[in-house]
Amino acid sequence: MKNNVLELRSLRKKFGALKATDDVSLEVEKGKIHALIGPNGAGKTTLISQIFGNLKPDSGDIFLDGKSITNTSVADRALLGIGRSFQISNVLMDFSVLENAIVAKISHSQETFRFFRPAFSDPSLIEGGFAILKRVGMEQMADRKVSDLAHGERRLLELALALAMEPLLVLLDEPMAGAGPEDTIFMTKVIAGLRGQTTILLIEHDMDVVFQLAERISVLVEGAVIASGTPDEISQNRLVREAYLGSDQ
Amino acid sequence: MVLDLFKKFTTLWIILIVLAFFPIFTSTFDLPFWNDVVMRIMLLGMAAMGLNIVFGFGGMVSFGHAAFMGVGAYCAGISQYYGLDNGWYQLLMSAVSCGILGILIGFLALRTSGIYFIMITLAFAQMLYFFFVSLEEFGGDDGLIMDRSDFIFFDLYEPLRLYYLIFFILATVSIMLMLLIRSRFGVILQAIKSNESRVEAMGLNPLKFKLTGYVISAIICGLSGCLFASWQEFVSPDIMHWTRSGDLMIIIILGGLTYLAGPLVGAIVFLLLEELLPDLLHVLFPPISENWMIIFGPLLIAVVLFGKGGLMGVMGSKLKTAANREKT
Ligand SMILES: Nc1ncnc2c1ncn2[C@@H]1O[C@H](COP(=O)(O)OP(=O)(O)OP(=O)(O)O)[C@@H](O)[C@H]1O
Ligand SMILES: [Mg+2]
Repeated sequence: MKNNVLELRSLRKKFGALKATDDVSLEVEKGKIHALIGPNGAGKTTLISQIFGNLKPDSGDIFLDGKSITNTSVADRALLGIGRSFQISNVLMDFSVLENAIVAKISHSQETFRFFRPAFSDPSLIEGGFAILKRVGMEQMADRKVSDLAHGERRLLELALALAMEPLLVLLDEPMAGAGPEDTIFMTKVIAGLRGQTTILLIEHDMDVVFQLAERISVLVEGAVIASGTPDEISQNRLVREAYLGSDQ
Repeated sequence: MVLDLFKKFTTLWIILIVLAFFPIFTSTFDLPFWNDVVMRIMLLGMAAMGLNIVFGFGGMVSFGHAAFMGVGAYCAGISQYYGLDNGWYQLLMSAVSCGILGILIGFLALRTSGIYFIMITLAFAQMLYFFFVSLEEFGGDDGLIMDRSDFIFFDLYEPLRLYYLIFFILATVSIMLMLLIRSRFGVILQAIKSNESRVEAMGLNPLKFKLTGYVISAIICGLSGCLFASWQEFVSPDIMHWTRSGDLMIIIILGGLTYLAGPLVGAIVFLLLEELLPDLLHVLFPPISENWMIIFGPLLIAVVLFGKGGLMGVMGSKLKTAANREKT
């Protein structure tokens, strides 16, 4: 067997009559940055939600590292090694940057049912929290409240949280959506730096970013994968050019 | 660690210290009636603090927590009915019963959220209410007259013994909660309130933490109810009427639901107004003194609308992050 971190087999999901995921089979190879592209409404977020467990597929199977996780809960998938950043920022808004990281660290430590010792002044948690922030270069902002952060900074924090559990697989749903050009460049650099450390499935509309980062690209149109291959293969693919790239470039 | 707690939760410590010395004030000025009012404040304040674990810190709007007070009160009443007078035993019974009920109700109710959670918690509370109404053996609707329980070391009929027993339990609960809300568990609970889906994505199963919080809050309300029975020397389904669940929520919102001391502040203001407004109106506008709620209602609405964060919020503290919140 190949070294696939993630394998989808004939995944299907309907919303009423709409086939949001239409017989999707996909393999994501270990250590690679794999981009998932497709026009608006193609079903990219829906697919990622099924991989993470927020949505249940109607049929089909999902394998993480060879083991079926089709019926596993979101929390358990996170523990098994999947991290996710959402299309719409999804962080702890009432907490500070460091506090966000510390909550992730608490979960990572597995010692959650502790009722007496204060968490936010625990040196090992603070250290762990800073380590989480350092990966995205946010340690200077540790004490800022999330509600005061710029949009791009929130995206960065969410990336840090997605990486906090040292996942096998990271699902990034348009991680730079809404961030400014500088933040986008910085975020691209951070993601490039993760190459080899973990496996990434990246949804991104910005083709420059996609072609900079991705080693493999899958194209989703109307719920179905119409092509999968290296960036070169995809940019040569006539179907893709017609369905997608042509309208974009 | 205890020293550290002194530096934080200033308001809560001040209230506890004032409560500890309050009887000196009442005996100096010969106002024993006020001891009674303050015991009621402590009892409802404690129940509201318990509810606030789920409501303010966990973001779960439970509209049936008076039922746990009722179960605690009946644990005292029914035990005594069968000759089990020991108050410590009754407190333990209350805690265990409310803990078990909390697990059952929480397990079912926490599958829902939003308005459905409010309705289902209210429905369970009403079921318990009518269950006790139907218990003819224990007085049904009319309730059960009882004596103050026997707490071995101190006879509750001695002056002030009941006051200090209630104070002791309140102080113990307060200190436990100071530790709890800053602990890993407490932080996770507040994180769930802030953003449940992010907490889940971090690998934590929100239901486990919400259920644990729910059970803790049920137990605290049960302890309050058990002592309430001794204070009132009477138990009836009235203690768990749905309007009391509403009162507890108003007390919390009035005081400030993101603060540990909020429910106590709320209970002080709520019950003092309830005590003083009718008299005050009697002097100022006799025609409406019967309907003092006419003033009370709008006053509450004003605090809720204009004083974001309740009275605790108004009193200062623009600090909003979870770490800073606990300083007041
Ligand atoms: N919960 C839902 N109920 C009904 N329809 C849905 C639901 N979620 C998504 N859809 C529909 O499914 C289709 C796929 O949506 P999805 O969000 O997965 O697209 P996407 O590829 O992520 O798009 P975008 O690039 O705009 O983020 C859309 O037509 C959307 O309207
Ligand atoms: Mg999307």
